Amino acid sequence: MPQDHVMLPSASHDEAAEQYFVRDLKVYLTEAIEPQFRERAQALDPGPASNARVETVYERLHEDEDFRAWAMLRRTSQDMLWAEIADSVGRQADVLNALAADAPATGSLTLDPDFVQPPYLAKGDVHLMPGGYAHDIGGVEQGAIMDRGGAVYMLGRNGGLMNDVRGHTLVSHLYTLYPDFAPARILELGCGIGASLIPVATAFPEAEVHGVDVGASMLRYALARARHLGATVHLAQDNAERTRFPDKSFDLVFSCVLLHETSPDAIDRIMEESHRLLKPGGIVAHLEVPQRYDQMDLWGKIRGEIEADYNNEPNWKAAISADYAALLKAAGFRDVAVGYQSATSSPVRGEGRFSDQSEGVFRSWFVASARK
Amino acid sequence: MDKIPPVNRHKPIAGQSPGEARLLAMVAALASELAVTRERLDTVERLAEDAGLLSRAGIETFTPTAEQAEERDGLRRRLIDRVFRALRDDTRLKGE
Repeated sequence: MPQDHVMLPSASHDEAAEQYFVRDLKVYLTEAIEPQFRERAQALDPGPASNARVETVYERLHEDEDFRAWAMLRRTSQDMLWAEIADSVGRQADVLNALAADAPATGSLTLDPDFVQPPYLAKGDVHLMPGGYAHDIGGVEQGAIMDRGGAVYMLGRNGGLMNDVRGHTLVSHLYTLYPDFAPARILELGCGIGASLIPVATAFPEAEVHGVDVGASMLRYALARARHLGATVHLAQDNAERTRFPDKSFDLVFSCVLLHETSPDAIDRIMEESHRLLKPGGIVAHLEVPQRYDQMDLWGKIRGEIEADYNNEPNWKAAISADYAALLKAAGFRDVAVGYQSATSSPVRGEGRFSDQSEGVFRSWFVASARK
Repeated sequence: MDKIPPVNRHKPIAGQSPGEARLLAMVAALASELAVTRERLDTVERLAEDAGLLSRAGIETFTPTAEQAEERDGLRRRLIDRVFRALRDDTRLKGE
């Protein structure tokens, strides 16, 4: 596997082989096995007269030994991915921490030793990543695991090893809907390892760029990653529902696939916090997965239940069901735009496309944006 | 390896026995180990072939030195830990 930036953990011969194996096992389970269960789900469908269609089919599928074995292997493939990557990162932890220490001293990092992660994250490790986003053993390890995990999981899609298409797509959205917008101060809520923050910082090189996240290790890694990639970012350990910044601090507040890892109440509070943080006339933009619950077929909804239960993705359904136009208006925003931005890894002014139709997963991202 | 914390909220597959779940996890780990070994062997054979080093008869008659045998013990034990990790994790959780 090629490396795209110096902080990304490398893989030895055998580590690469086992990471390719887990990727191919996931592909096999999805492409060779899953279609059988889509058919079985249709056969079990009680029809539109039932008021618990998804629940009924989901329960009936569990009576099937094959389905249970498939669901277990899906979960196992995810456990294997994290265990292998954690071992690989552990092997090179000293090198990665030294690289972080040697990075150019640009930007800043503010950690909060008393920080308590929000209850929806304390409830379960999202995507089964051991320890979760907030896990910290003092160095860049958990951030490195997250970055490499995303790279393996998304290999060949979604920006490949850089995993930065969402940030570029958000920039494309701003170019499309707000062509004269030149933010001086930018904040990303839930910046993780900075995969989206760096494309935004690069698109607006004059801006002061901030990011907050719950994980100390995640942020240490994000800062080192940004420094080695030549981006200046200021990072802080904070809760996206109520950050440390004073009112009217920013011209742009955004998030990328944050909301579906929170909770229904947290989504409301993040909208309110976005409004509080923006200067009058400032722009909010939240990017999410392109699926909408009411437009999904039965199997899509079942798959959502599987992800919620067995891959710790509990807010997925709420996040893709929410009426973002109403939420943004309720939070005090105007000129609300809700739709799909065509995915890109090289946003160009005048060339982006934003419409009310999704082109599909990885080809479009859902974006809700508005002005204060 | 011991630094990795157990996953918080590891919901069992409804209706599946813990024994079956564990066995599936072991089989998947075993398949992964085999895939890695096959890939490594493929690399070795290709490099050896390119260098004119490999002889099938030589593989059949190879005897490791004491040091080499010790290294092989380490490889084998690591494989065992990987394959039977699910059982190890379960027994640890019950012991806590």
